[in-house]
Amino acid sequence: MSKAVDNTIKDFEAAIAELESVVRKLEEGGDLPLEESLKLYERGVTLSKFCHAKLEAAERKIELLNERGDLRPAPAGLAGDEPDR
Amino acid sequence: MSDLFDLPFEDDPGGVEEPEPKGPLPTRRVFTVTELTVRVRDLLEERFFEVWVEGELSGVRLWNTGHLYFTLKDSSSLLKGLMFRSALRYLKFKPADGMRVVARGKISVYEPKGEYQIVCEHLEPQGLGALQLAFEQLKKRLQAEGLFDVAKKRPLPALPRKIGVVTSLDGAAIRDILKVLRRRYKNVHVVIRPTKVQGDGAAAEIAHGIRQIVTVPHVDVVIVGRGGGSMEDLWAFNEEPVARAISISPIPVISAVGHESDVTIADLVADLRAPTPSAAAELVVARKDDFSHRINRLHERLVSCAYARVQRLSRRVHELSGRRALAGYTTRVAMTQRRVDELTRRLEACELGRRLAKNRTALVAMDAKLHRLVAARAQRSGARLSAMAGRLDTLSPLAVLARGYAVCWNEDRTRAIRDAAVLSRGDTVHVTLSRGSIAAKVSDIE
Repeated sequence: MSKAVDNTIKDFEAAIAELESVVRKLEEGGDLPLEESLKLYERGVTLSKFCHAKLEAAERKIELLNERGDLRPAPAGLAGDEPDR
Repeated sequence: MSDLFDLPFEDDPGGVEEPEPKGPLPTRRVFTVTELTVRVRDLLEERFFEVWVEGELSGVRLWNTGHLYFTLKDSSSLLKGLMFRSALRYLKFKPADGMRVVARGKISVYEPKGEYQIVCEHLEPQGLGALQLAFEQLKKRLQAEGLFDVAKKRPLPALPRKIGVVTSLDGAAIRDILKVLRRRYKNVHVVIRPTKVQGDGAAAEIAHGIRQIVTVPHVDVVIVGRGGGSMEDLWAFNEEPVARAISISPIPVISAVGHESDVTIADLVADLRAPTPSAAAELVVARKDDFSHRINRLHERLVSCAYARVQRLSRRVHELSGRRALAGYTTRVAMTQRRVDELTRRLEACELGRRLAKNRTALVAMDAKLHRLVAARAQRSGARLSAMAGRLDTLSPLAVLARGYAVCWNEDRTRAIRDAAVLSRGDTVHVTLSRGSIAAKVSDIE
């Protein structure tokens, strides 16, 4: 996936809003020139990819913040590496 | 003994002079005022070492020394009272005029004024419990300040990059929250700020924890709370510092204190109140579910739009191939065919990969349909098409283009230029290459 493309997308919420407008344009604009609709389609796919990437992006991580403002990983027991009871 | 009362027992109100213990009556046991007052004081303090007295507060004044002065009264009597700062510290509510209270303390005498009074150790409101009253008081005050305004409530972030949690590490709350997050989404990033959640200093710790965690980069939402308990256990969440910390937080705060039936001040100030800590975690990830669903739907619509377009394009290929008699159209058939292929290629390039099985399936299905469509088209067109294709192979410049030749068209793309003589300097021509085409200006004719 090209990183450069992502610069055109402000954030997740903006991406969803734009994706919605792209899909609407494509659905309503049956007479759009091919090139234009192809561009829209590709933009849509880029946005959709971006959103999915964002949804999946975070890695599982549990950290503790102490009173001095330092972050450190949570002990394994808390992080849930124990089996569910 | 009645003679004793001839002495000026009542001080001039506002009078500050020291009583002067002297009198020329040697035969009788004469006390100085101070001596007597001390005796009275000792008597009262011994006799009323610990009393409970109920009444209505009036004349409540907090002195700058931090001590509280007041009068307790009922319909026919009054009793002066004071509460030292050291005792006042433990009072959860704020005593005010008109409030009915029960005071516990000892009776003592304020010697400079010869007044007896109750030195109050503890004060509790009658009717409402002290905590309940404190709750109502703070609620009223913060409400007046607008801290509970619905307009101030912020929506939760679509997709919190990090989820902040302010609670105790020992409680059930943190385990419940992590359990829900673990079950629902593997890939969450949680930052926990451990604090006391009950007892002395808990409110200050929680407030500090909130102020701190909201500054951690990418923490987009904070859950503040604890598991169930008595009203006293949950008390920290009814204290002003916690309410203030929540209200000034730059990011949305979800409160999750105790059980559904427990409503705290923190709940009222928070942007969203979750009935339990588990529910708070559910609320955070439910948004994620919503979005996941929405994106999938949008993607499906996107794909079906593109698919419809390809179908229309494909129909056009048929139409054009049926009108091959028209001069110049063979090339356009071929070119349209190329555009279909190009579209197919681009659709394939846009395939989402392994990320989401659902979308991949949709795309693969679409791709298969596309191929079937192209195959069907070939079949339907049958021999005529293959005959044409054979001729295209020999006539079409496209096969030649692939080897590096180019086709030069006139400005309108209606004729291929075979003779330089038909052009003049400055004419625009179009040159079709194997991939794409360019527009060019004739700079010279040789």
